Amino acid sequence: MLLCVQLLTGTLLAFYYVPSVDHAHTTVSFIEKVVSSGSWIRSLHHYGSQWLPFFLFLHLIRLRICQAYRCHRVQWLAGVALLALVMAAGATGYSLPWDARAFFSTRVAEGLMAGLPLIGRNARLWLLGGSEISTLTLSRFFALHVLVIPFFILVVVALRLVGQRHRPAVINHSTIAAAVVFLVLAVWTLKFHAPLGPAVADVNADYLPRPGAQFLWLYESLKHLPGGLGSIVGVVVPAVALLILLVVPWFGVGFLKRIPPHGQSLVATIILASMAIWVVTMTTASYVSDRRDPRTRQQLLKQQSDEQKFRATPFEPTALNFSGTAAEAQASAPVSYMTFCANCHGAHGEGGRQGTLRFPPLIGVSSKPRRTADDIVGLLNDPTAFGLEPPMRSFARKLTDQEKREIAQWVVGLK
Amino acid sequence: MSKNDETQTRTRRSFLLLVPVSLFAGVFSSIGLAAFRFLRPRIAAASSENWSSIASLSELKGDAPIVRKVTTDQVTGWAVTQEQHQVYVLPDHRVISAVCPHEGCEVAWDKATNRFSCPCHESYFAADGSRLTGPARRGLDALPSRLKDGQLQVLYESYENNTAERLKRS
Repeated sequence: MLLCVQLLTGTLLAFYYVPSVDHAHTTVSFIEKVVSSGSWIRSLHHYGSQWLPFFLFLHLIRLRICQAYRCHRVQWLAGVALLALVMAAGATGYSLPWDARAFFSTRVAEGLMAGLPLIGRNARLWLLGGSEISTLTLSRFFALHVLVIPFFILVVVALRLVGQRHRPAVINHSTIAAAVVFLVLAVWTLKFHAPLGPAVADVNADYLPRPGAQFLWLYESLKHLPGGLGSIVGVVVPAVALLILLVVPWFGVGFLKRIPPHGQSLVATIILASMAIWVVTMTTASYVSDRRDPRTRQQLLKQQSDEQKFRATPFEPTALNFSGTAAEAQASAPVSYMTFCANCHGAHGEGGRQGTLRFPPLIGVSSKPRRTADDIVGLLNDPTAFGLEPPMRSFARKLTDQEKREIAQWVVGLK
Repeated sequence: MSKNDETQTRTRRSFLLLVPVSLFAGVFSSIGLAAFRFLRPRIAAASSENWSSIASLSELKGDAPIVRKVTTDQVTGWAVTQEQHQVYVLPDHRVISAVCPHEGCEVAWDKATNRFSCPCHESYFAADGSRLTGPARRGLDALPSRLKDGQLQVLYESYENNTAERLKRS
């Protein structure tokens, strides 16, 4: 049931979402603030993604108790595979709104991949789609989240359903349970909105990112482990544990025959129990440490109230510039600029690079202190007085006062 | 088990089947309703009257229609998009939209035959914009225009396609 809700709400969200660093945050805030029921649908998707691993885990425990790995192998395998896929979907989904939280979660995913033994370097590059987090990374996470992972989830669910014969009583019990879970989730999500932090561009240094509930164990573990071990605990150990769970049904068969069949229940119990203990302890520890430290608590409260303020401000549509219109709208540069300045600062004031030298962009420079049109005239005469260093040189003699004024006024108008 | 008992069991079973069915119906109808509201098309609020200058009077000479571009801003969902529309200024200073009233392609002025022709489905319009031949059901649409401070200004509007009467598009 929760999977159905995830698929439905996810599909709906995709009707508005745009996976590009320019528009991701805008489109998500559009869904939150403008589209009817948008906030509820997104909230269902967000909290659904946190409840799903929890219920899947309970499902695995139940299967372990009735020793499903002996007689219902498909159910057992499907349960383990779904848990892994749902966690992967959660991890990739976190990046999509491209808010502060998303940015940090992408950073952590990047770090975890990079720290993997042997394949770390390449794993990181393949995940990011380049050497840095960029709009390509966001597209990758989007494709994984909406196409690749759901495809595998559907395959697993289909295989599982094919191998199952229903008894009416089971249908009845599970539908009632599912409906109750949905009802609670629906009410929960009406009361609590899915978080949407500030856009990546507006994050300040005080921001404290906190992952979703299903990843708090990992977050807390990373705090206590020495750097290099993070990837092992975050990726390798869970992967190995899930792999062992996958082969549990075949204990006593083939090359695994040395393990006695009664070892099955023991291994499954040990793995499931240690996962449960680890996750519960770490999650609790993370909540407790956030509550105990007054500064952290204050900052988190501040972030919450900032978020409410952001939610309350009306939505501002972004201006889309089609090719040509932006350049046309901006007056072309004075001839003297093209002669003396464009070589380094670019024909449109966009800045430039020559070898190791970097020339700052002039676009938006008027919003900085001491950069009015008068200041720029002064700066052209004596750059050092305005804190500039070579290779910026004085143009006091090369330009006439009229030309300096023209350039200054044009630069101030660059946006 | 008597026959009566068997029927009773069957009725009870079919009643019990109603429970999951109705629960599922409840859950999915609530999501369905939200989905309907969520996906409902967003009709842009009518923007305030926005006159744009397209030419100064001194430029408007000669007896052939002159092509001009009008740019309008439109709030479409989360973005403000700029749209460019072609208009023709006729020698008598009326302004007509270049949008063909058939399916909305842009007509071009054909100097040789002295008429507007639509590249898509071969509708033809006379030099004053009236319909000559082709599938279009009316002539080219005249746009509201005015003279202000020696400038010809136009108020860009869109009209429904394929109607004999001109109907403003909402």
